[in-house]
Amino acid sequence: MDFLTTFKISGSGLAAQRAKMDVIISNLANINTTRTPEGGAYKRKAVIFSSEPIQESFNDILQAVKVKEIVQIEGSTKQVFDPAHPDADAQGKVTLPDINTVAEMADMITANRAYEACVTAFDATKNMALKTLELGK
Amino acid sequence: MNNIPIRGDLIPPISESQSKNGNDVQENDGSFGKVLSNKIEEINKLKSDADDAIQKVEFSDSGSIHEAIIAMEKASISFKTMLQVRNKMLEAYQEVMRMQT
Repeated sequence: MDFLTTFKISGSGLAAQRAKMDVIISNLANINTTRTPEGGAYKRKAVIFSSEPIQESFNDILQAVKVKEIVQIEGSTKQVFDPAHPDADAQGKVTLPDINTVAEMADMITANRAYEACVTAFDATKNMALKTLELGK
Repeated sequence: MNNIPIRGDLIPPISESQSKNGNDVQENDGSFGKVLSNKIEEINKLKSDADDAIQKVEFSDSGSIHEAIIAMEKASISFKTMLQVRNKMLEAYQEVMRMQT
């Protein structure tokens, strides 16, 4: 079945964009987090994608996407002066994650659109497959 | 789904001696029943894959929705293909039967 390759690729795209969405949501949810299991404030996370060839297709030209890893961006914290905060240091400064909500929202829209594109591609392929069945009717 | 007796209606049963004489053309040729039952087996596997994916999402919360949907679509498309193949084969069969009249 030739169409199954297409399904595999678009499925990998869907999984990848979902992973990206998870990371973005994690960043947004932890925008005020000052304590983490590994100590210190929450650090912004980013997702890294890699392409991998699909077996059984011609010459490994077709590539599916895979979530390679989720990295922590070091130094993505900022010092805010807030002596009333329980986690403030001696100088009254609190270390907060340096997360830009607007940038995260823009990333979210990108991930959303990419996901929709994969869904549309999937649907188009499915319609092609179904149209093929109408051949000769 | 293995024992669908369509084949028996179409082909006279091969006697033991005949099949032992290396006359195994019947195994590989595109007899109606053989083609159909192979196809059905294949689709049955896809369907059970889809069932597994759905079960994963519904009960164990570990699978992802899109995987289940994709598995379902795979099964659905292959089933529709099988249906078309069956229709065409039935048509051919009935055409052959009509020769008698």
